[in-house]
Amino acid sequence: MLNLASKSAFATLRSASSGKGVVAAQRVGMAVATVMVRRGRAAALADTVRTQFGIELPTGPHWTAANGTMFLGVGPGKWLVINDAQNSAFVQELEDKLQGLASVVEQSGGLGILRLTGPALHETLEKGVQIDLAPAAFPPGSVAVTSIAHVGATLWKLDDAPIFEIAVARSLSTSFFHWLDASASARGLSTDDRPD
Amino acid sequence: MTQAQRLAAGGLVDRSTPVSFSFDGKPFTGFAGDTLASALLANGVRLVGRSFKYHRPRGIFSAGPEEPNALVELRAGARREPNTKATCVELYDGLSAESQNRWPSLAFDLHAVNQFASPLLVAGFYYKTFMWPSAFWERLYEPAIRRAAGLGRLSGESDPDSYEKATAFCDLLVIGAGPAGLAAALVAGRAGVRVILAESDFVLGGRLNCETHEIDGAPGSAWARQAEDELATLPNVRIMRRTSVFGVYDGECGAIERVADHMPAPPEHAPRQRLWKIVARQTILATGAVERSIVFGGNDRPGVMLGSAMRTYVNRFAAAPGRRIAVFTTGDDGWRTARDLRTAGLSVECVVDTRHTIAPDVLSLTGDTAVYLGSHVVDAFGGHGLRSIDIRDAGGIRKRVAVDALAVSGGWNPDVALATHLGASPTWSDAKAAFLATEPPRSMALAGAAAGHWTLAEALHDGGTLGMDAATRYGHPQLAQPRFRTSDEATEVQACWHVGGARSKAFVDLQNDVTDRDIALAAREGFRSVEHLKRYTTLGMATDQGRTSNVGGLAIMAELTGRTIAETGTTRARPPHIPVAIGAFAGLHRDTHFKPTRLTSGHQWATGQGATFVDAGQWLRAQWFARPGETDWLQSVTREVRTVRSAVGVCDVSTLGKIALTGPDVGTFLDRIYINTFSTLDVGKVRYGVMLREDGFVMDDGTTARLAPDHWMMSTTTANAAKVMQHLEFCHQVLWPELDVQMVSVTEQWAQYAVAGPRSRALLQQLLGTVADLSNEAFPYLACREFRCGSLPVRLYRISFSGELAYEIAVPANYGDALAQALIDAGRDLGVAPYGTEALSVMRIEKGHVAGNEINGQTIASDLGLGRMMSTRKDYVGRVMAARPALVDSKRPSLVGLKPVDPAARLRAGAHFVARGVPASPETDDGYMTSTAFSPTLGHWIGLGLLADGPRRTGERLRAYDPVRAGDVDVEVVPPVFVDPKGERLRA
Repeated sequence: MLNLASKSAFATLRSASSGKGVVAAQRVGMAVATVMVRRGRAAALADTVRTQFGIELPTGPHWTAANGTMFLGVGPGKWLVINDAQNSAFVQELEDKLQGLASVVEQSGGLGILRLTGPALHETLEKGVQIDLAPAAFPPGSVAVTSIAHVGATLWKLDDAPIFEIAVARSLSTSFFHWLDASASARGLSTDDRPD
Repeated sequence: MTQAQRLAAGGLVDRSTPVSFSFDGKPFTGFAGDTLASALLANGVRLVGRSFKYHRPRGIFSAGPEEPNALVELRAGARREPNTKATCVELYDGLSAESQNRWPSLAFDLHAVNQFASPLLVAGFYYKTFMWPSAFWERLYEPAIRRAAGLGRLSGESDPDSYEKATAFCDLLVIGAGPAGLAAALVAGRAGVRVILAESDFVLGGRLNCETHEIDGAPGSAWARQAEDELATLPNVRIMRRTSVFGVYDGECGAIERVADHMPAPPEHAPRQRLWKIVARQTILATGAVERSIVFGGNDRPGVMLGSAMRTYVNRFAAAPGRRIAVFTTGDDGWRTARDLRTAGLSVECVVDTRHTIAPDVLSLTGDTAVYLGSHVVDAFGGHGLRSIDIRDAGGIRKRVAVDALAVSGGWNPDVALATHLGASPTWSDAKAAFLATEPPRSMALAGAAAGHWTLAEALHDGGTLGMDAATRYGHPQLAQPRFRTSDEATEVQACWHVGGARSKAFVDLQNDVTDRDIALAAREGFRSVEHLKRYTTLGMATDQGRTSNVGGLAIMAELTGRTIAETGTTRARPPHIPVAIGAFAGLHRDTHFKPTRLTSGHQWATGQGATFVDAGQWLRAQWFARPGETDWLQSVTREVRTVRSAVGVCDVSTLGKIALTGPDVGTFLDRIYINTFSTLDVGKVRYGVMLREDGFVMDDGTTARLAPDHWMMSTTTANAAKVMQHLEFCHQVLWPELDVQMVSVTEQWAQYAVAGPRSRALLQQLLGTVADLSNEAFPYLACREFRCGSLPVRLYRISFSGELAYEIAVPANYGDALAQALIDAGRDLGVAPYGTEALSVMRIEKGHVAGNEINGQTIASDLGLGRMMSTRKDYVGRVMAARPALVDSKRPSLVGLKPVDPAARLRAGAHFVARGVPASPETDDGYMTSTAFSPTLGHWIGLGLLADGPRRTGERLRAYDPVRAGDVDVEVVPPVFVDPKGERLRA
């Protein structure tokens, strides 16, 4: 039986600086899928998501979450769904639940996701994110599909601490981390608290 | 070290903090708060540079970014920065600066002989003189000219410092922290508006620090400190010191922050500079104004200085520009210079005003100083420093006065360049004797001197009013607009650009050595448009952008051509407003980080296997895996090909584009995208497809698999992945939105490996055990299947690029690294080896498969031998245009195979086909070699090429014409499939 070890996108990356201006924690073991509404089924999809997940399907660049499942609006009729229950069958179950209403495509291995916090987070993010992340302009619940240092990125704000999460294509995680480490270096990037 | 010219008292420098620095190797001391220019003046240094063309001795002329003369090389070694304005350099301990453009020394410069040849060196001299013979230009003229002219030298070394970029957002951007800017920021900031206040200087206050004004009973500089303190307490206000806004673009401004330029080297982890993009809803331009010079003989002598700069040096830096000073002015402003100099205890020898009548309160500013009204300074004398001036009084009598410094005041130019970057031209105002920005961008307002409102009271009022506007506009509570109590100063000015009758050279543009005679020459030779004048004479070019000279130059042109200044107009200002280091634009993106790099999930595994990598777009792909003892890439590649052809090899193909297409209408969608039919494809099958651009040329090729009735997987080439995704999105969103199709890239999700060779089935069976039946009957050529190994999803495709029995196996990318190793482990007894893109390429050439070299944007399907795939029973993108006469011409170059007549000869891609015995020319060109490889299978070089009427010329011998490399090779035309033409191996 084929038995392979999993290696997450940021598994081997370590900060070159010291300090905890920004704390980056890798999120691993998440189930991730792209959900795209079938033609003419938007209302039915929203109903199903509401009944199945207790989630009000976001219609713009926002996220809503309940019970460990988050729906992030990443485009018209398009969501990134993240589940952190370490359930490898989640995407299959999601596909079954949304059968006929939306296409569900597995992306669990395609993204690297970092949770970012720390006192220097805002001054670090403004070195790469070219959108306004001030509390009034980007309140908790906001999502942005953008690019950071020429790397495509999806970022969302969890709370006003602030805590941000950023997802980048797995193949670009090394380049992205170079930007993050360099940009946070003045006050230090810590990757110590990562769960792996 | 004494600071002989430092005034005994006053100024804003910190006398308790001495700062050591050196100029041309000589040690000096200044104070914290000095600029390099003020510290040099305080030390009595008057000669600081040599001019661009004539190598004339030059001194400090201004106190800001308008400086044309005092350009130095700052720092040493790899950090050397040429052409740095001493007037903008914040003094730091250990600073070292060198004068430039002189040899062997600043005081004795051999190139100064240029000025005796000056009749030859007028505008347009190089164009006229070095025209012939043209071959001499690159080898002789240009190097000679470059040696003699030019200013500082680059270090020639890699920049050891780092740069970064950042973006900031605000409701109100205030550019300039002088009185208008501070007032605007205070009023808007207090009301809660999100404000960014950007100031080039290292202290806020602008001219408040340089004048003796009072606001609300306090000295202007003290008021500025107080304002700054208050702004610092407001969380909605961001003060950006040492930050120059250099450009205004659609919806945003560019600014450069000099983070560590005031230190010998940046602290650890700090960049030297930071490039800002500032996105503001509203901008207030409070950049003030720059004083103009006056053109008279010898006006470039060290000691001749703008009057406002003298006030700056005396009032802010407590540095005396001279001991016996004269003032030459065209307006009231010069009289305040005389007053401030006297107040500082310096001797003012006389005030020369071009006007005949002066208001009594202005006249009274200078007490008993000698006054010449209706008079002009005609000539200034002195080599390395001013010694005397000649005054021509109202009666035309010349009089010589001994002075060591001369303040000149020709009126003021509002600093409006940033208001014109988006296209509007400034317009001339006779009333203000200045160009004003009358049509600033919609979101920009001008305040204070930038708007031509010269007085302090006007500046404060403008700032306060515009600050209130912002408060109202952005929904913050209305507060009463504060009133700032100050005095109005007299500002009358009478334009006077040029003093005739000079005996010595009279400079319009000090930085570029443009004289009044050059302007006259340009007028005579027809270069009368201001833009032509600028390019012909170089007036207003380079680091100072003609801030002190432009208006004077074009005013002289107006006079010479009998036009008004308004009719003559001014040149178009373009960003950047000040020089910006190219490194700041690059930011982090230098060296290997120039662009992002994409690594496959098996990258570390490949590194461990000794891979050499090659760039494939953003990706790094393993090119070959050298083994111990292999000394040459061809050895490694040949071994890898032989391994695949005789045993089994593993190749990472994760970089190919993978697009998931879902929904009930995908079959219809693909029929319209591809030239061949896909709607009939069964679930569990794969088909090769070709797609065209709308113009009928081939866009890309690849395989698409049907995993489920409504779930398809398209693969694209690595290079075209993004372009194909964009094409599909366009076709769906714009052409056929009625189709129920969804799509998303899954290139990142799946790690995919080709397992190729006669033993590939055995290897996979070993890896997968009983999970999958791989027999020919159960899993034939072009089958695909999705299954799970435990909880691990696996996708298996039986497709082949090499022409061997082959599979591609995919797992989620998290498992890609482990899968690569597992494949090698499973194949150990089968003689497995990893292979790279080079072996892949050799084998596809052996099989006659087309790739990027053939799908090059100029070929159609039939050129590539794929014409029969073009369905005649359906419509598809590119069908109509592909039927154009030129594209169905049978004489088009089409795909053929080629082999050398001499089996030992090497083929090279790019060689052109010419019939033997015919001279090579565009007329006899029959096509060219697109791809070549050494075929380990055949033991000689082989090639693919596009040959006119190719397939019908099999057996013909041609010359492969290659004039730029090893020469010509005779080749024979053969069918393009060199190995296993019947395809028996891949169906085995």
